[in-house]
Amino acid sequence: MFAMILRRLLVSVTSLVLLVTIVFFMIHATPGGPAYSILGMHASPAAVAALNKQMGLSQPLGEQYVIWWWHLLQGRLGYSYIQHTPVTRLLRIYTGRTLLLDLSALGLAALIALVVGLVQGYLAERPLGKVIGVFQIVFYALPVFFVGILLIYILSIRLNLFPPGGIGHHGLDSRLRHLALPVFTLTLPIAAGLSRYFGHQARQEYRLDYVRTARARGLSDLRIALHHVLRNAVRPFVTMVGMMIPAVFVGDVLTESVFNYPGLGWLLWRSALDQDYPTVSAITLFIGVLTILGNLLADLINSILDVRVRYE
Amino acid sequence: MNEPRSTPERRWGLFPALHAGRFASALRSAPLTAAGLGLFLFLVAFSWLGPLLIHTSPYAIRPALLFRPPSWSHPLGTDDLGRSFLARMMYGGQPSLGVAMLGTVIAVVLGLLYGMSSGLSPSWLDKVLMRTLDAILALPTLVLMIFFAALVRLDALSLILLLGFVSWPGLARIARNEVLAYKQRDYVLAARQFGAGTGYLARTHLLRSMLPIVLVNATFTVADLVLTLAGLSFLGLGIQPPNPSWGGLLGNGSNLAIIGAWWLILFPGLAIVLAILAMNMMGQGILNRLEGR
Repeated sequence: MFAMILRRLLVSVTSLVLLVTIVFFMIHATPGGPAYSILGMHASPAAVAALNKQMGLSQPLGEQYVIWWWHLLQGRLGYSYIQHTPVTRLLRIYTGRTLLLDLSALGLAALIALVVGLVQGYLAERPLGKVIGVFQIVFYALPVFFVGILLIYILSIRLNLFPPGGIGHHGLDSRLRHLALPVFTLTLPIAAGLSRYFGHQARQEYRLDYVRTARARGLSDLRIALHHVLRNAVRPFVTMVGMMIPAVFVGDVLTESVFNYPGLGWLLWRSALDQDYPTVSAITLFIGVLTILGNLLADLINSILDVRVRYE
Repeated sequence: MNEPRSTPERRWGLFPALHAGRFASALRSAPLTAAGLGLFLFLVAFSWLGPLLIHTSPYAIRPALLFRPPSWSHPLGTDDLGRSFLARMMYGGQPSLGVAMLGTVIAVVLGLLYGMSSGLSPSWLDKVLMRTLDAILALPTLVLMIFFAALVRLDALSLILLLGFVSWPGLARIARNEVLAYKQRDYVLAARQFGAGTGYLARTHLLRSMLPIVLVNATFTVADLVLTLAGLSFLGLGIQPPNPSWGGLLGNGSNLAIIGAWWLILFPGLAIVLAILAMNMMGQGILNRLEGR
């Protein structure tokens, strides 16, 4: 198990190195380099040279790469020229809101997927199971930004039931009302995707002999589902949840933008529109790191759940 | 007339399924694929043939015709500048579908090259290449695309290249697994015995065996790229106005939602959903047949 964790860590570290390297080289591959992004495309060569010297951008690329790493390891993520504040300060403000939204949605989606998947496995090829299958495909194909804007149009603008965006400030009730639509929007495709995978898994589980044995022993359907099928299918399920994490962050960026929910995704969007490249690259790195850690966590939980797991 | 009559296999080379007779019978036995293909062809015709029929510019601003709801004279209504929304939807389909399809072509080529090289490499190198792939797959693609968009103004060509560049890893994994599944088969070993080189084997035998599964995943990739591009354009970071794209139109419509112009939201949103559904149905239909269900 120790060797497995070590190998798994190696993959995560490789992801990290690749991510940092891609971000570094993309920044320096832009025409004219970062100085033009800050000063604008029509900056005078003298101004660009001065800024390059001030920021250490005139040094050889290899040296800059090493310095970039050194700064990252110290937690120095750069300075936003648009917001005039260190990026780490921005991350401290916005990260909590994003984690609240994403973890609520992922938790809710996992719960829905477990129930729907078990029902689907139990129903197998019966008509109702197929109907659920169609709903999963349709909901998975619905883009979060389309669903989000429809919900705003119908529930906020027409019916005035929910606030159309923001996070609310006055007490728990207001906060929850602001959170409801974004969480629902983000949950929908994740639940559809997860329950589709898990439904497939549960169907295969239901075909195995131990289920037939349990039925022969006269156990109730509920008991078979919870004590037998769920127990055996929970490990692949944790893996699936881990694999959904990149999709959660993609959905998060779009959901936060639609609902003007000021989290990391929203900040990434606004900063990209402003071409605020230090902020954008820091958030890209940060979301990448969160994704990698999430994946790692899913695999570690898996290995704790069952010692037979061997990472291959 | 002493030329040998060409058999379907010979004429169609790598793509025997494209032979007309076989194609029709294949579609009959896979209704899901047929429905998806029909839907997809409808969207393609809407985007590329539609503009030839309506003779309306998607850029012509008409101050007298702002925010007209759908009617017989304006089938999909008009937008905030009085432009014909039908024309904008038609022209908007071209980048929305075209960029996604061309990006997929790049992803397939890169994925096949990487995956087949990995599968045919010695096992230690294969392991290294696959670990690298795991590492790339852990990155959220839309976030990377937003990062690229913040650094450079993206036009259609750079969007195609970058979308292809971020979406090949899934296809590479599949190509590599297929190579491993087929490279020990008798017919491949026999060909090797007769002196066939690795390149020849890859081109003729392996590529041909993995074609169906690669096709399935290419259709799923098109669906993913339609979604990614639409999301990017929705955020104002993909196809730039005044050029229409379905994602961009939806983004513009959502800013105008407060006015109650529902048609500016519903039609582009539906077009994106239908395109994604069409590709997923096609892929799933072929997959069901491959799995013999």
